[in-house]
Amino acid sequence: MALEHSLDLQIPFETPQQAQIAVKVLKPDPILRPDDFEVDYVSNGSVLEVKFRSIDDRVLRVGVSSVINSVKTVVEAMDELS
Amino acid sequence: MSVPFASYSSPDLESHVFRVDPTCPRYQTTDGSTTGPSPHVLNAGQIDKDRPSEPRTDDNGQITTLGQLRCHLTGLQDEINDFLTERMEIAKGKKTKLEESREQRIETEIKGLLDGGDDNGNDDNS
Repeated sequence: MALEHSLDLQIPFETPQQAQIAVKVLKPDPILRPDDFEVDYVSNGSVLEVKFRSIDDRVLRVGVSSVINSVKTVVEAMDELS
Repeated sequence: MSVPFASYSSPDLESHVFRVDPTCPRYQTTDGSTTGPSPHVLNAGQIDKDRPSEPRTDDNGQITTLGQLRCHLTGLQDEINDFLTERMEIAKGKKTKLEESREQRIETEIKGLLDGGDDNGNDDNS
């Protein structure tokens, strides 16, 4: 089935380096159901761009919420170490 | 630093945009309403050990820029979760209606076959 349900997320960091670090940290996370859900991370200047594509809204909700949790952990770690 | 932004699309909804409103209480906390244990579990006595930490503050007591980002992300996450949950409920309702009408059709066909196909809905046994 086509991955027709999508969500694009843009997260502005303080510096391009922080956005790049976030991409490097998040990208290795394995996708548990690659046939049903895809996620792509790109840094554009200081903005982290995340593109989600999914088979339906249920899978999209689980995937998006999980990635945002990971992003929040990355942001918290950066904040604590800065 | 600007605020996070998200946009959703699906075959039956061209676009839905999520915008962060920093003045809204939802975007001023790291403790989201759609994440963590449910109220049912908490009321049963469970202690939330994974509760998110408060946003970090600087020497002047102001929330740091990254702390604000974490708050904005929490609010955005709640917004997206609520929206997608609502869409799931709508999809579930549609599916149920479709299933109901399909079952009703099959039941009518079976009844028609069992009655020898001469039942026009007039069950007058008097």
